[in-house]
Amino acid sequence: MLLIHCPHCQETLPEAEFTYAGQAHIVRPADPMSQTDEQWEEFLFIRQNAKGAHYERWRHLHGCGRFFNAVRDTVSDRFLTTYVSGAPRPDLSSLMEGKA
Amino acid sequence: MSYRIPERGRVDRSQPIRFTFDGREVTGFRGDTVASALLAEGNHLMGRSFKYHRPRGPVAAGSEEPNALIGTRRGKGQFEPNTRATMQELRHGLQTTSQNKYPSLKFDVGAVNDAAYMLFSAGFYYKTFMWPKNFWHKVYEPFIRAAAGLGVSPTEEDPDIYASRNMHCDVLIVGAGPAGLAAARQAAGKGLKVVLVDEHAEAGGTLLSEPQAVIDGAPAWDWLAATLADLKAAGVKIMTRTTAIGYYHENLIGMVERLTDHLDEVPADTPRERMWRVRAKQVVLAQGALEKPLVFHGNDRPGVMLAGSAQTFLNRFGVLVGKRPVVMTSHDSAWYAAFDLAGAGAQVQAIVDTRGEVRDDLLAQAKALNIPVKLGHTATATSGRLRVSSLRVNKVTGATVGAGEEIKCDAVLMSGGWTPSLHLFSHTKGKLAWDDDLTTFLPSDTPEDCVIAGAGRGLWGVEAALRDGAAQAQAALEALGQTEAAQGYSVTEDRPGTGVTHKELPTDRSPGKAKAFVDYQNDVTAKDLRLAVREGMRSIEHVKRYTTNGMATDQGKMSNINGLNIAADALGKKQPQVGLTTFRPPYTPTTFGAFAGYHRGSHFEVTRKTQIDAWAEENGAVYEPVGQWRRARYFPKAGEDMDTAVTRECAATRASVGIFDASTLGKIEVVGPDAAEFVNRMYTNPFLKLGVGKCRYGLLCGDDGFIRDDGVIGRIAEDRFHVTTTTGGAARVLNMMEDYLQTEWPDLDVWLTSVTEQWSTIALNGPNAAKLLQPFVPDLELTEETFPHMSCAEVNVAGTPARLWRVSFTGEIGFEVNVPAPLGRQLWETLWQAGQQYDICAYGTETMHVLRAEKGYIIVGQDTDGTVTPFDAGMGWAVGKKKADFVGMRGMARPDLVASGRRQLVGLLTEDGSKLEEGAQIVLDPNQPIPMKMVGFVTSSYDQGTVGRPIALALIEGGQDRMGETVHVPMPHRTIAAKVVSAVFVDPENSRLKIGAAA
Amino acid sequence: MNALTSFPQGQEPETLVSTAAVTVTQVPHRARLSLRARGDLAPLDRALGFALPRGIGGVTLGTACLGPDEWIILTDDAAAVMTACAEVSLPHSLVDVSGREITFEIEGPRASELLTLGCPRDIDAIPDGTARRTVFDGVTVTLWRDTAERFRIDVWNSFAPHVAHLLASGARELAAEMA
Repeated sequence: MLLIHCPHCQETLPEAEFTYAGQAHIVRPADPMSQTDEQWEEFLFIRQNAKGAHYERWRHLHGCGRFFNAVRDTVSDRFLTTYVSGAPRPDLSSLMEGKA
Repeated sequence: MSYRIPERGRVDRSQPIRFTFDGREVTGFRGDTVASALLAEGNHLMGRSFKYHRPRGPVAAGSEEPNALIGTRRGKGQFEPNTRATMQELRHGLQTTSQNKYPSLKFDVGAVNDAAYMLFSAGFYYKTFMWPKNFWHKVYEPFIRAAAGLGVSPTEEDPDIYASRNMHCDVLIVGAGPAGLAAARQAAGKGLKVVLVDEHAEAGGTLLSEPQAVIDGAPAWDWLAATLADLKAAGVKIMTRTTAIGYYHENLIGMVERLTDHLDEVPADTPRERMWRVRAKQVVLAQGALEKPLVFHGNDRPGVMLAGSAQTFLNRFGVLVGKRPVVMTSHDSAWYAAFDLAGAGAQVQAIVDTRGEVRDDLLAQAKALNIPVKLGHTATATSGRLRVSSLRVNKVTGATVGAGEEIKCDAVLMSGGWTPSLHLFSHTKGKLAWDDDLTTFLPSDTPEDCVIAGAGRGLWGVEAALRDGAAQAQAALEALGQTEAAQGYSVTEDRPGTGVTHKELPTDRSPGKAKAFVDYQNDVTAKDLRLAVREGMRSIEHVKRYTTNGMATDQGKMSNINGLNIAADALGKKQPQVGLTTFRPPYTPTTFGAFAGYHRGSHFEVTRKTQIDAWAEENGAVYEPVGQWRRARYFPKAGEDMDTAVTRECAATRASVGIFDASTLGKIEVVGPDAAEFVNRMYTNPFLKLGVGKCRYGLLCGDDGFIRDDGVIGRIAEDRFHVTTTTGGAARVLNMMEDYLQTEWPDLDVWLTSVTEQWSTIALNGPNAAKLLQPFVPDLELTEETFPHMSCAEVNVAGTPARLWRVSFTGEIGFEVNVPAPLGRQLWETLWQAGQQYDICAYGTETMHVLRAEKGYIIVGQDTDGTVTPFDAGMGWAVGKKKADFVGMRGMARPDLVASGRRQLVGLLTEDGSKLEEGAQIVLDPNQPIPMKMVGFVTSSYDQGTVGRPIALALIEGGQDRMGETVHVPMPHRTIAAKVVSAVFVDPENSRLKIGAAA
Repeated sequence: MNALTSFPQGQEPETLVSTAAVTVTQVPHRARLSLRARGDLAPLDRALGFALPRGIGGVTLGTACLGPDEWIILTDDAAAVMTACAEVSLPHSLVDVSGREITFEIEGPRASELLTLGCPRDIDAIPDGTARRTVFDGVTVTLWRDTAERFRIDVWNSFAPHVAHLLASGARELAAEMA
């Protein structure tokens, strides 16, 4: 069972308090009706299956209730960092360095 | 008791304990295991093997034991199969039985398999029984099931209780042998939370088997007692009878503590076992090493056992495993076993070593004890029916195996060297490195915060283990900010040693006829492994599965390295190129009870009940689960079955008034200046202009355009909406709304609060609903003019502040009264009493389902399946046409979703008046060849309603354009014709919704 | 409009289990309000008459901060709180949830250990005088640590029997362990 740092509670807590919520940084277009079928397909269905660093969302469901973002290495299954929704993507190279 | 040696062992001779083995009474002592007590009376035969039913006795003394598996029974329902006799402690009244034998352990007809062993060679599951095909079920499988196997499953309910607990600590040390004890001493007294666990009944590990060692001037057992006392005084938590079964992510260790199996009387409220989930900042694995058998013909005969285990039986339990043992070894350690047994009065017949040379001091001591020594020999056979009576050894010169020589004996103590116990380390994804000198894998890197100490990383001897335990613990402590030197130790009478590792031993016999066992529990021989390689298995994982080597409940603790050495030899590769199979948790077999913990019986899972549930129970409700809730399904009167009761409830509700507990509906309070904007964006319907005091049905879709949920939404104030969801969808809908609010529209000033359990919700439906309710609502006139359908108000109901809704899920005049949850039952009873004059009828979810289906109201998840749009459901009216955006709007415009021929919700009436089955498939032409083209399926079907005939709802391709057409529902014995009709079967004009109209 | 839906108070506390290890009591209902707001909270502080705790876990005068924009207010005068907040122009949400939950008080020398039966998080690491949501045996609860040996658990009504069952059997198990 993983340990997850909640960027709102500022605590590292057991995975049992959290739920996974899919890939991060997928923004719902401001005007969906202006989207082509291909664009809407991309938004709805197309997801990465990263080997290595993966940007993803979690929710501290049994806690502060917030959705937040995380970078997790899918090979080692370790979190590289977590950060609040809306914050920019963290720089991957520095995260992977920090790990090594 | 003739094999018990006075003055040896740690058993308490003042406490004799009687138990039974196969019905025969046996007496042992407190501290004995079943195995040691049986060995004390000279009994090695404890079971029959899995495939060949060969007689077997204990080969080891600990949890790695593959052979001596017994059934244990402590009382009614307290039966456990496949318990290792070497781990089961004695307690008064314990009943034990041998396994896999018929009619008796000593004479077993299944042993015919031993003669037919060619049938059971590697891959026999795949080869022998492939043809003819239909023989598998009828002949082969029953034969295998009857012939092979271990214990039988218990049949009675287990009356014991099981527990679980979470623990957090700074340092967890697994294994309380010398390395673990030294690690604990190193970590103790620093203000850290230190936990030391061991699977045995007492701590000490190898020290319990090596009392001769002198540690820092103190005899080993004195040192052990003092150390344990010191550790306890320093606050170290010492847990014995506790097995670390698995090492999971980020230093989470699963441990099972056995609390009562050794007790004569189980105290009240005491669980049998407890599962610990331990999160440790640092872990020290000090699990020691496991001795390997030598692989030779007949190495499984009762009386053939590991030399180190014989030493343990002597020194820990005071039991001599044989009076005339012979030692067969490739490692120094077995020489000491010989010396110990000789010192206890055994006449050691010989020490036979595969090596041509051994240390002079060992030779000298053997000579001093008058033990004959044979170097450079192999073992080629044993004899004896139920107990070994001789060992055949042959001199090996180069590649030549010389003539055999029989050595009479009553036990063979073998040692093929030692394998570090790598199981938990491997669970961490720890990498292993092959060590050519030790011919074994040693732990290398691990991603976890974990160190490994002592024999677990190939260090041999008490002093080496103590020093390494301290040093490795100190390395772990550095990570916790503790800087101190590792404590030093000096040990005399230590027994360091080395050895060599073999594949199967050389023999002068036909290798094809040799039964040289590698995996005792699964009856896998060296020949099987070589056959697997000959038949094309290249990967060690394939060899394992083809032969089942290492796949028994002992997880290959003894067989993995021997199996690897043989497979590597057969493949012509080095061991590290072949690799090791994966170790998986649990380390030892673990009871289902330990995994289930508290979750059994009424506590098996959460069962949510409403405040009115108790009334329903008192009034005979039959329940059904809906999500986590249990809901009253119907209220049968005496003699009624479900159909009769539901038919009565439906009729009574349409005739006068029915009362229904709708408290489980999800409820979300949406509050803030942007509340209307948020609701408008989430639901398909327009909400911006919904007036205060009004409610509206809402459809919730995903952005893919498919229906997710529905409910009624009331506007309590300009900035406050009361949203209802389906019972099962409550949590999911709130999560979805929070997702959009927090991550897509964080600019909106609106907040969501779950009020599902703030309110008890009582629904009144029927022509007399308003009449019944009016006297309790003095502040509001319940007429069509003052409180029309789809109104809501905050008023007092029966003196209680309430939210009152005029809504209907039945097609009748309907109200839903929401009162603070704890007041729900009180109001229910008030309405129930007042309703008697109207013959009020309490109805359950089944009647609710029928009545709504008669009106064509959908149930999300029953009439929709996640691929149904509002238009498919015939609910285009619920989609706001002038909205710029809502969740699902763009999705509904996807090409597939606007294409013609989509499945649409319609009504069905069967031509012969029979009831359709929900889920039944629908075809247009019943005479077309199979496979037929299916155009849809029945989603809802009832015949208890008020229409006078069975009705059904169905999703049918292009259904809304097929009104009046006949479709066909093929069933196993006939095909039912049905007419496509409107989904609304009752009151399409909605006149019954109006107060004053229907009555 | 903030409808006040509280109901008669003042039931007696009901002891579920009392052992040498720990006593579990169902305590009487108090009015309970869920407050949500963000930005400069000063207007709410003034209306309430005390500063809302700013960090998750913080507790001030019976009010706990459960999320970055979420507080639970326990009060004996819900009407006064509602009236005061109604005047605040800062956008906020105040919802009466008094009827939603049941509170168990867990007190005794092994109260902390009793919680380890259901809580995966480290109970010993929770400071006194704090509160937060967490999970107990699969159920979301609000866990208040009042003192080293006294906790409160708020749990939705329908989950309460499940939680109470484990608390009661756990209290007996811990007592048997001490015997």
